[in-house]
Amino acid sequence: MMIEVGKALLPIRPELMEALEAAWLTLATPGTWWTGTERIAIATEARRAQSCALCRRRKEALSPYSIDGRHDSLDALPPEAVEAIHRLATDAGRITEKWVRHLADGALGEERYIEIVSVVAIITALDTFDRALGRPLGLLPEPVAGQPSQHRPAGARRALAWVSTLAPQDVGPSDPNPFPVHGDKNIHLALSLVPQEVFNFFDLDVELYLKDHEIRDFSHEYRTISHRQIELIAGRASAVNKCFY
Amino acid sequence: MLRESSTADSSSYDLTAIVGDGHAGGGVPHGVVLVAFVDAVLSGSDAELRGVRDSVRSAVGDAGFVDACATIASFNAVVKLADGTGIPLEDWKEGRTRDIREALSIDAFRA
Repeated sequence: MMIEVGKALLPIRPELMEALEAAWLTLATPGTWWTGTERIAIATEARRAQSCALCRRRKEALSPYSIDGRHDSLDALPPEAVEAIHRLATDAGRITEKWVRHLADGALGEERYIEIVSVVAIITALDTFDRALGRPLGLLPEPVAGQPSQHRPAGARRALAWVSTLAPQDVGPSDPNPFPVHGDKNIHLALSLVPQEVFNFFDLDVELYLKDHEIRDFSHEYRTISHRQIELIAGRASAVNKCFY
Repeated sequence: MLRESSTADSSSYDLTAIVGDGHAGGGVPHGVVLVAFVDAVLSGSDAELRGVRDSVRSAVGDAGFVDACATIASFNAVVKLADGTGIPLEDWKEGRTRDIREALSIDAFRA
């Protein structure tokens, strides 16, 4: 399979292309806590954050928490949602527990916050891929009608992270269960308060990177570049983002 | 994981390529240009990025280039999950990476 990059056609794994197309669609599809229209607004706001003057001043400041102001926003979402989106998009490395808890325990709520984390992560992945390739930013899809389910897993609890998470052993019969598919490391639990978002993010991520069982299978190379090359890239990207997880 | 993957095939490695000034390739084939590519995608100008892309394609081929782009995309995104939720490093991972993190001063990174 080929992907258009300017006037060139470059080879791309069919599974990756399918995952990319599915990820674009998930942005526009009703989520668990936000409608399709709101999810597209979140993605749009995440892009807009890159040119937000307040975000730029905060990024340059010794502490982002010392700078007050108003975000350059489309005003399509509540201000607490805009604050979450812009910070996640532009300066996630300096997010604190206090900041997260303020949003999670306030008007936004932790469920809506987690879905914002997922949407911002997905659009970040899609846009970074296109930037790296040399393609223009993709057009955001038209929202799909429908209402969010507003399903909160009964077994979710605040034990591991700054927000509630759902442990694999606490998944209920009506909960989406991403753990048998994607694994149950802490990174898989990060979005687990909204289990569908674990699917939405990792369905894409395993094709961008590697599936859980492939990561340490050094007997086989799953990509055109080697495990060592992949891990060098991964390590460098994590270091640039100041993240050691 | 760079240490584990290198050890698996008895290759040498240099972890300072991860946190260094971008001139080291970590003992990985085409490591210098791959590190430069990551830097250009995540923090370089459009002009810098244009300059590096052709080098990456020449080094690892077009399919490898696409996979390199995908890997950068993954790790630029997954960091949002860790930073945004405060999930901790697993105990087993903390123990196995303590020496690396000390050597590279990675514990200065909060998430």
